[in-house]
Amino acid sequence: MSEVLKTLSDAMAAAVEAAGRSIVRVEARRRMPASGIVWSADGVIVTAHHVVEREDKIRIGLPDGRMVGAALVGRDPSTDVAVLRAEADGLAVPAWADLAEVRIGHLALAVGRPGDQLQATLGIVSALSHHAHEERYFAQTDVVMYPGFSGGPLVAVTGQLIGLNTSALMRGVSLTVQSATLRAVASSLLAHGRMRRGYLGVGVQPVKLPAAAADQLGQTTGALVMSVEPDSPAERGGLFVGDTIVAIDGQRVTDGDTLLAALTSGRIGQTVPVTIVRGGQTQTLAVTVGERA
Amino acid sequence: MNDLAQLVNAHLADTVERVRGSLVQVRNGRGAGAGTIWHPDGLIVTNAHVVQGHAQLTAVLPDGRTLPAQVIAFDAARDLAALAVEADGLPTIEVGDSRALKPGQWVMAVGHPWGVLGAVTAGVVIGVGAGLGDLPSSREWIALALHLRPGHSGGPLVDAAGRLVGINTLITGPDVGYAIPSQTVIAFLKETLGAQHVAV
Repeated sequence: MSEVLKTLSDAMAAAVEAAGRSIVRVEARRRMPASGIVWSADGVIVTAHHVVEREDKIRIGLPDGRMVGAALVGRDPSTDVAVLRAEADGLAVPAWADLAEVRIGHLALAVGRPGDQLQATLGIVSALSHHAHEERYFAQTDVVMYPGFSGGPLVAVTGQLIGLNTSALMRGVSLTVQSATLRAVASSLLAHGRMRRGYLGVGVQPVKLPAAAADQLGQTTGALVMSVEPDSPAERGGLFVGDTIVAIDGQRVTDGDTLLAALTSGRIGQTVPVTIVRGGQTQTLAVTVGERA
Repeated sequence: MNDLAQLVNAHLADTVERVRGSLVQVRNGRGAGAGTIWHPDGLIVTNAHVVQGHAQLTAVLPDGRTLPAQVIAFDAARDLAALAVEADGLPTIEVGDSRALKPGQWVMAVGHPWGVLGAVTAGVVIGVGAGLGDLPSSREWIALALHLRPGHSGGPLVDAAGRLVGINTLITGPDVGYAIPSQTVIAFLKETLGAQHVAV
């Protein structure tokens, strides 16, 4: 009989073991420890925002069994990511999988350390968020998130980490914050203590462009401005209700998601060209992007 | 890739077929659990809670024979019992080393969930050892990401190579099962029956 199943099984256990060197226990809420991932060797840990219920007396259980203290660096509720700094050094940094290597149907393991020992479970990648938006790369899986698995990684059969698991972002669905988004959020939390996002002060909905504008711009939809906040960057920049935003700083805007994607932290405080369609004519306004509170 | 998936499928089915040859149903007059043939001469291992308090026990063998079964060893603390039936030449499953199990490894459980005979459920090992989840006991368990149901108790848990690594025993939720490690079963049989039944 072929040894294929045993080989597969051993490969899965080896992936868990490899990832486990970088998985810690996070004690930051009453009675229910959760998991975390080593982000850098000098003690930075990423975990799930919702498992960090207290901001002092946070304890980290390292893979070698040591317990150390940790401080909260920052948290981003919209991606359910928190960054901690543990009093530890020389931690094992995991290998992260590239976004492009993760496909729907792949086997994936959720791994956690809610107790002394590593724990694992298996599922497949069910869906991937399709927004080309650095802050919104999520994978959905069918893994059952056991108590304390939040904050731990989704691990590919190669042993590389796909992202950080959370059961709290969407009810009844196991979501994984993929590495690209994790990187964007973690670097902002480490630099600023919070996730910085650009702000215009408009409410929009996607709308079809008039044929002439569509031909000229090479896109069929834009973001129709439904409301403008008083004294917002949008109002100061001259945007009106009824304008259709089609680009920001040369980056195409076709709906609300692509508008959010264009409002990167790098554009905060910058005066950028905002291309709109107004009265059937394309024109460009100069708008200074604000920061979302 | 498709070839590999087919190989995995074929291997799963072959393993299950082999394991089902050593699976029995233990009837206690009021309900039924599963049992695992441990020795060709009619030694069957099951959970203590399957047989506890019941005088009239029968075992339904894989070949369809229904035989009276006698409890010859019993340990309520470990939730294990050994039964004897008048039979020989029964097929057994090679016993694996449960201490070598690791989180993430593939396992399959066979039993009679809700009375469905010889049904299989597959998943992975969540963890091994004492102090897992919210089980109060300090005893060792294998935590499983598969779907055990009433009727699985006493049946075999096998690894990817089809070796017996545990006896399926309880659940703490719809998605978490627990099995007694094969090493615990060996210790139980050694203590109660002596060495003759342990060599397999």
